[in-house]
Amino acid sequence: MKKIIALLLAVVMVFGLAACGGEGEAAADNNAEGKTYKVAFILNCSISDGGWGTACYSELVAAVERNENWEMAYTDNLAQDGYYDAMVAYCNEGFDLIYAPGGEYTDAVLQVAAEYPDVAFAQLNGGEDTPAAAVNGNVTSLLPNGQQIGWIAGALAGLMTETGTVAFIGGMELTTTLAKYEGFVEAAKYVGEKEGKSITALDAVYANSYDDSAKGIEFANAMMEQGADVFFGDASAIDSGARQAIDEKNKAAGSIKVFDIAQPADYLGQNECIIGSQVTDNSSLIELSFRAVEDGTFGGEVLYGNLENGVLSTGALNDLVPQEIKDKYLAYIEEMIAGTFMQ
Amino acid sequence: MSMDVISSIVLAAVRMAVPLLLIAMAELWSERAGMVNIGLEGLAAVGALAGFMLTFYTGNTWAGILAGAVAGILVNLIYAYATVSLCANHTVYGMAINLLAPALASFIYRVSFGTGGGLNQIELMKGVAIPVLKDIPFLGDLLFNQTPMVYLAFALVLFTNIYFRKTKSGLNFKSVGEHPKAAATLGINVIGIKYLSCVICGALAGIGGAYLTTCYSTTYTEGIVSGRGFIALAAVIFGRWNGTGVMGACLFFGLCDALQIRLQVSSLGVPYQFFQMIPYLATVVVLAIIGSKKAGPKANGLPYRKEER
Repeated sequence: MKKIIALLLAVVMVFGLAACGGEGEAAADNNAEGKTYKVAFILNCSISDGGWGTACYSELVAAVERNENWEMAYTDNLAQDGYYDAMVAYCNEGFDLIYAPGGEYTDAVLQVAAEYPDVAFAQLNGGEDTPAAAVNGNVTSLLPNGQQIGWIAGALAGLMTETGTVAFIGGMELTTTLAKYEGFVEAAKYVGEKEGKSITALDAVYANSYDDSAKGIEFANAMMEQGADVFFGDASAIDSGARQAIDEKNKAAGSIKVFDIAQPADYLGQNECIIGSQVTDNSSLIELSFRAVEDGTFGGEVLYGNLENGVLSTGALNDLVPQEIKDKYLAYIEEMIAGTFMQ
Repeated sequence: MSMDVISSIVLAAVRMAVPLLLIAMAELWSERAGMVNIGLEGLAAVGALAGFMLTFYTGNTWAGILAGAVAGILVNLIYAYATVSLCANHTVYGMAINLLAPALASFIYRVSFGTGGGLNQIELMKGVAIPVLKDIPFLGDLLFNQTPMVYLAFALVLFTNIYFRKTKSGLNFKSVGEHPKAAATLGINVIGIKYLSCVICGALAGIGGAYLTTCYSTTYTEGIVSGRGFIALAAVIFGRWNGTGVMGACLFFGLCDALQIRLQVSSLGVPYQFFQMIPYLATVVVLAIIGSKKAGPKANGLPYRKEER
């Protein structure tokens, strides 16, 4: 009897593991008219984090919904040592495309791509040199312009800061995160100078996590003590924690004087402190990958996303941003699109 | 460094130490009965989810705390049955809990709230400021302007110390962790106390997780426990299996975390990873100097078979 109960307990635990993933979102049935393609999505944070994970997931769902001959599956909350195994599992299940949204997956993507030459690998925020490093030529980088992402947030920060101190919170010290930080700082300083302000950007800080929202609270508190009044971040749930701390500070002060700029989707209204968002439409890059897989031309490319081709844009601004500043901000965005910003 | 900065660092250290303390006290009670439970991370994960969900649906943070405790107990009963009744390996089942419980929490969260939707947020437990005392410079905010859960966490340390050192019941409890067969010959219900320790452990670890989502963060994210269960395990060893020591270890870990955050923000040029490793380095050094065999319960992690000679 005890052995049976022990076996049952083990079975319950194995089923527990299966709860980490999901399959069949917007699934399409195989039909006689053509092949149904399958895309697998892996993620090291949660799809419900209200930030990066949620945005990446939603954009893939949107892309799949617009393409009825595609179906998707996903695994989120992966630890670093799980990237390889998750991708191999999907390759073995016959998936056509693996979608990995982040530079941190590069090593695992290249390793699995070398072992599965018939599977396509699209890496969001992959390096420019990653496709060339793939021995089978089956890797494509989807590369939103990190500097422009930083510019979009930085220009608004430079216009809105009263204290002249702006802050950035990162999850991990990745190349793409650094590019966003550097763009944020240079745009804030440039715009601030134009407005007659002296802008100080606190050094980028890293939580070494994308899940621990408590860390975001503590980082934001420490940065507000240093005078920061406009925040931008690239840290998933850490950003949610930071916004909580900012909201609490504003509540205690009786007015909203500290702001946050969200990314990569339009999160206006999620927290009182969010005045605007930088929006990245990754779904259009994903759909380009779908077409390449269908045509048999996938791999070896870098698909850039920027303001010029509409992949990057600014979200709505709320009423905390005065109309005069909105006008100036949109003029700066036009300059960015025209390639004359900071020229 | 001004007093304001020091006060802010100490406040942050206390905030970060309290969930660790609750989870570490769970392990202390468990190990005092010889039950090594490395599944704290999983117990806290279900506690965090249960705490968040009940608070979200009822608007009552105390209901959330209670739900965290119940969820922790229910999950830990799997460990209890497997290790006490089936005499299975503690480490294996503790790790199984760490795999099962967070996945279970993710599953329940997604069934309840759907996938990829907006961020769900709750109102946190309100702080209770003690009049007059809260105005004492430096210590006022630190000691007398916190949520009731903070007061309860520190009261638990006091209770634990008194219980294990000054009461007959506490000595009986400890004897199960030291020499269960000898305890049994004295008429102590060894199996019952082991189960009781698992219930207490599940409740406290669940409350530790629920603290994160009812008193600290307004949102629930999968992975919110973020390794605190493992740090709590280290805190019990670092704290030499006594309440005051464990509290000191948790405050030390919290202080190191608060310091590394302030040092990153202050841009002193010292790599932040250096400060992140201090608590773990300290644990290794302390263990190397003092050793762990003298302090821990002697029958820790060993199966108890009533009929065995």
